[in-house]
Amino acid sequence: MSDADIGVGGTLVWYYYICLRQVWLISHQITPDADDGNLILGRFIGETSYNREKKELAIGSSKMDVYHFNNGEMVVGEVKKSSKYNQSARMQLAFYLKELHKRGIQARGELRFPQEKKKEEVILDEDTLAEIERVERDILRLVYLQQPPPPVKNRFCKKCAYSEFCWS
Amino acid sequence: MKKTLYIFTNGQFHRKDNTIYFETEQGEKRFIPVEDTGEIMIFGEVDINKRFLEFLSQKEIILHYFSHYGYYMGSFYPREHLNSGYMILRQAEHYIDENKRLSIARLLVEGAGKNILRVLKYYKARDKKVDNSIVTIETLLGTIATCNDIPSLMAIEGNMREAYYKAFDEIIELPDFIFENRTRRPPKNYLNTLISFGNSLLYTICLGEIYRTHLDPRIGFLHTTNFRRFTLNLDIAEIFKPLIVDRVIFSLLGRKMITTDDFERGSEGILMKDRAKRCFIEQMEEKLKTTIKHREIGRAVSYRRLIRLELYKLEKHLMGEKVYEPFIATW
Ligand code: SF4
Repeated sequence: MSDADIGVGGTLVWYYYICLRQVWLISHQITPDADDGNLILGRFIGETSYNREKKELAIGSSKMDVYHFNNGEMVVGEVKKSSKYNQSARMQLAFYLKELHKRGIQARGELRFPQEKKKEEVILDEDTLAEIERVERDILRLVYLQQPPPPVKNRFCKKCAYSEFCWS
Repeated sequence: MKKTLYIFTNGQFHRKDNTIYFETEQGEKRFIPVEDTGEIMIFGEVDINKRFLEFLSQKEIILHYFSHYGYYMGSFYPREHLNSGYMILRQAEHYIDENKRLSIARLLVEGAGKNILRVLKYYKARDKKVDNSIVTIETLLGTIATCNDIPSLMAIEGNMREAYYKAFDEIIELPDFIFENRTRRPPKNYLNTLISFGNSLLYTICLGEIYRTHLDPRIGFLHTTNFRRFTLNLDIAEIFKPLIVDRVIFSLLGRKMITTDDFERGSEGILMKDRAKRCFIEQMEEKLKTTIKHREIGRAVSYRRLIRLELYKLEKHLMGEKVYEPFIATW
C-alpha cells in the first residue's frame, strides 16, 4: 500500500473526530453493508441540496461539494446532514482549505446544514493548520496498525453503520 | 432487511428497462420489487437470459436454483460488491496455516455440538428419553480440544449428529417419520427428505449473508475448500442447523402441518410436494424473523441477523482482534 493509495483525504479526517476505529476500518476497505439507512441518507442530502450552485471541485483525493466566488474571494462549501458532527465537519473543511492553500488558492470555508438552515464559517488560521497536520500524521500512524483500535462505546455508536460489526 | 423471493411455478424471467418480471406459462405477469429483494430461490422450471442476469448483478441480487427434488443445485453469485483485499488475505492465511484453520474448525464443531445439546435438553425437560444422546454428545464435545486434524474433527461432528438424530424418533414420536439412517441424495425416507430440504435452505441463506460481508464463500475452515464450491456457508450453517432447521421440522410434524400425504415417490427417491415445500419455507421464514435480545448490541436481533453477526465475529477473528465465539442458544 502506498501513501497515494491511502490518500488521507477529507473522509478520513472526518471520521478521525468520530472514531479512530472507523478510520482504520475504512482505510482497510472494511466498509459496512450498503443497505444501512444512515449511509443512504447522507448521500441523498449531498446530492439534492443546493442544486443550483452545486459544482464539484476535486483536489487530490478530496472532493468539495460546492464553491462560488464572492467579491473575488473563493468560498468552499461542505453540505452536512447535521451539526451533530460539527467538529468533524469543521476539520474536514479546514483540510480542504489547506489542500487549496498548498496549490496557491486562498479560500474561506462555509459549512452548511440545510436541514437546520444553518451556516458556519471556517478559516484556516495557524492553529487550525497545525492541528490538521497533526491529524494527518496520526491518521497515517493508525492506518499502518496491524489491528484496528478496539471499539470504545461512544455517542456515535448507536447510529454507526459499523455498530453490529463492532459489538457482535 | 431485503426479502427472499420464492418461485415455484414454471415460466420465464424478463427484464424490461429497469424492472424485472416473472411470466408464468399461463402468461400471468408478476413484477419484482428489485430494491427490496435480496435473493431469488427457484424451485420451478424457469428460463432466464443474460440481460436478466446482468440486471441481478447490478442490483446485487443472488439467485439460487433447486432441482425438482428440492436439492440445491447452484447459485448465481454476482461479483462481490464489498471487497477488502486485507480481509481476503486474512481469510486465506487462516485457511493455509493448519493450526489457525484447526482452531476455527474446532470452535465451529463445538458451537454446533452445544446448540445440539441445547435442543436435546429442552426435550429432556419435557420428559423425552434423550439421555443417551446427551451423554454421547457431551463425551464427544470433550474430545474436540485434543483433536489435531480436520478429518478427525469432521468425524466427531458426524458422530455427534448421529447421536443427535437417534433422539429424533423419541422427540417426534410419529411412526411414519422414523429416522433410520441419515441418507442424503436421494433421501430414503420422509424425515431425511425434510432434513435435506431444510439444510439446503439454510445453506443458501448463509450464502446470502456472506455476500453482504467481506468474506469469500469459497474458503471454508471445517469444510475443505476446493474453490469450485461454496463452503464457508456450510461451516456457518452448522451452528444454526439445530436451532433453525431442526426446530422447524419438529414443529411442522408436531403440529401435523406436514404429513405423509405431502410426499410422493419419484424415480430417484422420495420428494416433497410443492405444498409441503411452501409450508416448510413459510415456517423457516417465520423462524428467521424471530428475534432475541442481544446484550452487547443492546436490542432485539433476528435469527437471520444472528447469522450475519456470526460472520462479523469470524471477520474479527481473522483480523486477530477477538477470538471467535460461536453463538450458543441459552434457552
Ligand atoms: S460502532 Fe462505535 S466503535 Fe464501532 S466504528 Fe462505530 S463509532 Fe466506532
